[in-house]
Amino acid sequence: MKHAELGIIVIVCSSVAQACEPPLHGANVQKIEGARYVLAWRPAPAPIRVGEFMTLEIGVCAREGQPRPATLRVDATMPEHKHGMNYRPSVTPKGTDRFAAEGIMLHMAGRWEIVFDVNTGAAQESLRTSIELQ
Amino acid sequence: MRAVLLAVALMLASAAAVAQGVAFSVEERARILAHGPWPPAVTRDPSNRVSGSSDAIDFGRRLFSDGALSRSGYIGCVTCHQPDRALTDLRPRAHGMADVDRNTPTLANLRLQRWYGWGGSSDSLWMASIRPLLDTRELDTDAAFIVRRFSLNEDLTCRYRKVFGRAPDHADDAMLVNVGKALAAFVETLVTGRTPFDEFRDALERNDRAAMARYPAAAQRGLKLFVGRGNCFVCHTGPNFSNGEFHDTGIPFFVVPGKVDPGRHEAIRALRDSRFNLLGRFNDDASRKNTTATRHVVLEHRHWGEFRTPSLRNVAVTPPYMHNGSLASLRDVVLHYSEIDGERLHADGERILRKLSLTEEQIGDLVAFLQTLTDAAGERRLLPSIDPAPCR
Repeated sequence: MKHAELGIIVIVCSSVAQACEPPLHGANVQKIEGARYVLAWRPAPAPIRVGEFMTLEIGVCAREGQPRPATLRVDATMPEHKHGMNYRPSVTPKGTDRFAAEGIMLHMAGRWEIVFDVNTGAAQESLRTSIELQ
Repeated sequence: MRAVLLAVALMLASAAAVAQGVAFSVEERARILAHGPWPPAVTRDPSNRVSGSSDAIDFGRRLFSDGALSRSGYIGCVTCHQPDRALTDLRPRAHGMADVDRNTPTLANLRLQRWYGWGGSSDSLWMASIRPLLDTRELDTDAAFIVRRFSLNEDLTCRYRKVFGRAPDHADDAMLVNVGKALAAFVETLVTGRTPFDEFRDALERNDRAAMARYPAAAQRGLKLFVGRGNCFVCHTGPNFSNGEFHDTGIPFFVVPGKVDPGRHEAIRALRDSRFNLLGRFNDDASRKNTTATRHVVLEHRHWGEFRTPSLRNVAVTPPYMHNGSLASLRDVVLHYSEIDGERLHADGERILRKLSLTEEQIGDLVAFLQTLTDAAGERRLLPSIDPAPCR
């Protein structure tokens, strides 16, 4: 019975993933699955280095029934230190469902949480990912 | 069974680098390697059109040692940035025309920085070179005064014209900027050489155990603390041993009773208010690609009392330490971090700086490691000689 339930869950997840593919592909792309949106992001330059500015290329896919993203906000924090970056990133639309975030710099080694706030005007979803910098 | 043991042994060997009994984990090895290679590739500063120009470097070299820029006529950059004292002055706090609130930082490896000064009030080396010209406690000069000085010195006038294509007769911001850019062109040539740590780091990278074994055991133990329990690497990272950013390290920011040094907080305000920052008309990079930091920097209350993470290269020859020169020796610095008073830190939440309670041996090991960051020249930074031939 347990195996049968697991099988159903896997089928559902894979069908959702196929239905919602962010418009960003290639090397170094990482994906975050949210309830309403799927977001793909890629740092440039890669890999991310402590104390060096980077730009993030971002693609967002709205799941079925969800409005397209209107704006995007990007931030990063060190949860264990309870502080954020020394810089406030700027996000520029780069065509349909594509964005570029500039002015991101993770200034200390350790665990950082990058937060992407997808806004539609009426609603918002925060998508988070964690990275460890040496 | 033997095959399993061999596999385990190989795994352990690849997971840790061992030299003279000090084992480094895979994580520690990665952190050590991040502090090189050295020296890094030198690139010219796109915000400074005379960066890398031999005429500008020569002109900046002359201005650096000349009292012509100061109101008194006998104080120059070299008064505080002394070549035989590692380009600093060994005083707790600088003294130009009057006492200054902060310690004189060394001028080596500045091309690698993003912000300049202890608070980071300048976003370019040429902007940082203008600041002491105008500070009444340092060189106490202005554009009109510099024009008068040049008018009395044919050689400097000729060299100015050679570099900037016009006579030094304009008592305006462009005069200050040009002098700043010539000084910067010279200062960015001041770099430190390879150190015993660099030899060890490169040997570690190529897994050359014989070369690794030449690095003193105490320094290896200190390095392990540096990239491990001490957490020093969190801020002192990268080939220049600095993340280039700002932190509150528990050093009191009272200059005298009743007067505080706001550090980064005040510096961001000064940066934004200045007509010499990279967002202004004196940035020679038309692409403005070099303005990312200035455009995105935020001013928050937490920046109060924060100061720039200094490079640790040649740190052993640049005492005293911290933004106010309040710690006399490297041992004092290590002891400060080992016994840090959490109540003095104003950061919220969990802090990276925690009392370490290091033993005397561990303190000695960390100091031994820091001493291996010194290059062969040490405190004697011989400047290029000045050609006595007159300018034509």
